[in-house]
Amino acid sequence: MSISLSHLTKRYASVAVVDDVTVEIPEGSLTAILGPSGSGKSTLLKMIAGLEMPDEGRVVIEGDDVTDVDPRFRDIGFCFQHYAPFRHMNVAKNIGFGLRVRKQPKAVIAAKVSELVELVKLDNKALSYPSQLSGGERQRMALARALAIEPRVLLLDEPFGALDAIVRTELRHWVKELHRQIKVTTILVTHDQDEAMEVADQLLIMHSGTIEQAGNPSELYDAPATDFVHGFLGPTTVFKGVVVRPHDLEIVSPSSGVMEGVVTSIMELGFEVQVTLTLSDGSMPWVQMSRNEFRSLGVAPGAPIAVRERVAL
Amino acid sequence: MKHTSRKWSLRIVVIGYLGLLVGLPVGFLLIHAFNHGLVAFWREVTKPNAVAALKLSVEVALVAVPVNTVVGILAALILARRKFFGSRALIVAFDIPVAVSPIIMGVALVLAYSKIGWFGQWLGDYGIRILFTPVGIVMATMAVSLPYVVRSVLPVLVEIGKDQEHAARTLGAGSFRIFWQVTLPAIRWGVLYGVTLTIARTLGEFGAVLVVSGDITAKTQTLPIYIFAAWDQNFDSLGAFAGAFVLASISVVALIILSSLRARERKLHVDLA
Repeated sequence: MSISLSHLTKRYASVAVVDDVTVEIPEGSLTAILGPSGSGKSTLLKMIAGLEMPDEGRVVIEGDDVTDVDPRFRDIGFCFQHYAPFRHMNVAKNIGFGLRVRKQPKAVIAAKVSELVELVKLDNKALSYPSQLSGGERQRMALARALAIEPRVLLLDEPFGALDAIVRTELRHWVKELHRQIKVTTILVTHDQDEAMEVADQLLIMHSGTIEQAGNPSELYDAPATDFVHGFLGPTTVFKGVVVRPHDLEIVSPSSGVMEGVVTSIMELGFEVQVTLTLSDGSMPWVQMSRNEFRSLGVAPGAPIAVRERVAL
Repeated sequence: MKHTSRKWSLRIVVIGYLGLLVGLPVGFLLIHAFNHGLVAFWREVTKPNAVAALKLSVEVALVAVPVNTVVGILAALILARRKFFGSRALIVAFDIPVAVSPIIMGVALVLAYSKIGWFGQWLGDYGIRILFTPVGIVMATMAVSLPYVVRSVLPVLVEIGKDQEHAARTLGAGSFRIFWQVTLPAIRWGVLYGVTLTIARTLGEFGAVLVVSGDITAKTQTLPIYIFAAWDQNFDSLGAFAGAFVLASISVVALIILSSLRARERKLHVDLA
């Protein structure tokens, strides 16, 4: 196990923002800590880095207990939501900072920096200053700066949070690809479930300071342990008093149905169509289906229907 | 048309206001300083007492400005980076010396360090005299110019936040390196602005220094006090004008250096997004 956290707790004025968290993060994984704002995910990340001190518990990285080790000696790469560039240094100087701190020979630094600017596709911007870069470029520079010291662990705090939608998607793909190439154990904090599901191979769902569930994305999606995880990882609706995914419901003709009702409203969202129903028990679940399914079903508001759960194949 | 005329009338108001309060008085000062020609001006500013006053003012600044700069940066770092009980009160305390009249600071210093107070008596027992000496002048000057560096650096530190320092730390940098290579470059304009204000105040301080200095000609007379004495006691108005011109020139040069450094920096880097 690359990182193991045991009974990690952090309190601010007697309120526990991280409450007795114990978790193992596998070597070489790309783990997303996913949770709403205020769930303690950023504080957890900062405690791994040593930028926040835990009130209780231990942080162990590759077998070394680093709980009392200053962040400068933890060999950690940390990227911030707002990139934290050194504004008075150009891209090359930013990336080389950690190597200069480590008193590497100039030639070694130059070689490593030129390798990294290429890796993060900033080779034509090596002499630019952070103020001359776009948000995405700044974050790539920050990643290169963190990777320069060949960290044991890469920690990313809401790395795409301040970027616009298109750049965000691009950078997500790029980070996933980068991780595939260099395989450094990476933890990413995010509040965006799509981002977490897409990028990560492991998920930790955090809610009010505790870990609700850990596992790989499809496990968590299919078998959520709590209503919170269920609701947080994807759309939900209530059918016969149980929380289900709206794409696990199926509209059929009234004769073959289990529960009958009428179509209340239809919302077409491109490929996806959401059909809201009013059932005989008074409940109003909604069903998610593809455009093609909807076409072949041929229902309109007011149409009598029946609904049942899809049979798992 | 209407728009342009409004723009112009606004400009005239601003320029007129500045002219009445700054331009006209400074202009007259210039004219009167050189009224009797350059030779007379030079004779005035090279009078031994004038030279002694200028020398003392510069010496006081050479001590007060560096000390207040270092103390100011340290205080701003502590106040911005560590929240502790009473830190807000401390920020207010730094403002007291400029919030009250300089005379009050002068009188308060006299109370504390003269034989009136137990502290001054205690110092006197050890033969340490502060009032009516250059040491007292330096102390009064430092007191009234204390907040400028703190006040111009503190908001910059708060605004840039801790992220850059944290990033440097995770990259392996120690506190000393973080300060010199990350924090100080990030706050340099705040520091420079604060230092400029400190220099201006240090050279120009009159009230507090007058009270603690005892106004001893050629001994404890700083340039502003020399100017006042020339004007008020010695009926030497040319001496006063010449001295005032020198004093004003130093401050103006400091301001010009600051703003040209800034302009050069702006050209080098496209401004911060």
